[in-house]
Amino acid sequence: MEEKEDTHAEPLDLVRLCIDEIVIIKLRGDRELKGRLHAYDSHCNLVLGDVEETIYVAEEEDEDEDEPPSVKTIKKQSEMLFVRGDSVVLIAPFAGTTH
Amino acid sequence: MAKEEEVRPNGTPDDDQVESDAKDPSGFLSEIIGAPVTVKLNSGIIYKGDLQSVDGYMNIALERCREISDGRLVRNWGDAFVRGNNVTYICADSA
Amino acid sequence: MAPLENLLPLELIDKCVGSQIWVIMDTGKEFIGKLLGFDDYVNMVLEDVTEVDPIEGNGQLPKILLNGNKICMMVPGGDGKTVMDGEEDESENEDAAMVG
Repeated sequence: MEEKEDTHAEPLDLVRLCIDEIVIIKLRGDRELKGRLHAYDSHCNLVLGDVEETIYVAEEEDEDEDEPPSVKTIKKQSEMLFVRGDSVVLIAPFAGTTH
Repeated sequence: MAKEEEVRPNGTPDDDQVESDAKDPSGFLSEIIGAPVTVKLNSGIIYKGDLQSVDGYMNIALERCREISDGRLVRNWGDAFVRGNNVTYICADSA
Repeated sequence: MAPLENLLPLELIDKCVGSQIWVIMDTGKEFIGKLLGFDDYVNMVLEDVTEVDPIEGNGQLPKILLNGNKICMMVPGGDGKTVMDGEEDESENEDAAMVG
């Protein structure tokens, strides 16, 4: 533990630092959430405000199977959202992400 | 209940065994903190980054985290928290 | 090898420390490598690992911490090519893995 003084003692500290910031949450089932992190707990249950949900859906393209399937995105807006922790894959502050 | 599920790879720093045996999971992890790692999830997704910390659930904090697919960078996440239940393995890139 | 009766499962794993093992996951993925250590949850540290996945293909990993959560079984000394007694060589490791 000594050698970690300048970094985080545990991974959830990173989430703590994201409180009141815009975060991107990667969820199981090809879903993503972007919104302001209001609260979290040790299970990664989350409360997000002003949320944009993006769902990635692979479109069926039977005429050409060699082509990679094109991905359709569905977007939904929510004022406030509770996320159950077991569907969370990854949490990252939006400011640090680039495509 | 939750306690039973914990994996405690970090062990406790005052535990003599951790000091003596760097080859068990907790020893291995303390050895690679700060080092570049590859994290593979059960879904097959690969993340590369610098290992900031790990806890008993195998939750992971990665610095300069990149998502890799077919050996190609698909996305930069910056600092990222990965929930431990999704993790298949943590690989030390420079071992 | 010592008689297997009265040998607890974790004692068997402990006997494998330092030698090559073959790990089969719930998902069908397999890992072959040298066991350096493990903990009470059977999280394992493996060295010089071959990752075997029927879909993604194989990969080489220098040193890993394998999450014990999804481990199905472990074969001491296994090289991923084990043929069960009485089976011909054509039955590949899928068949051997089904004996779980």
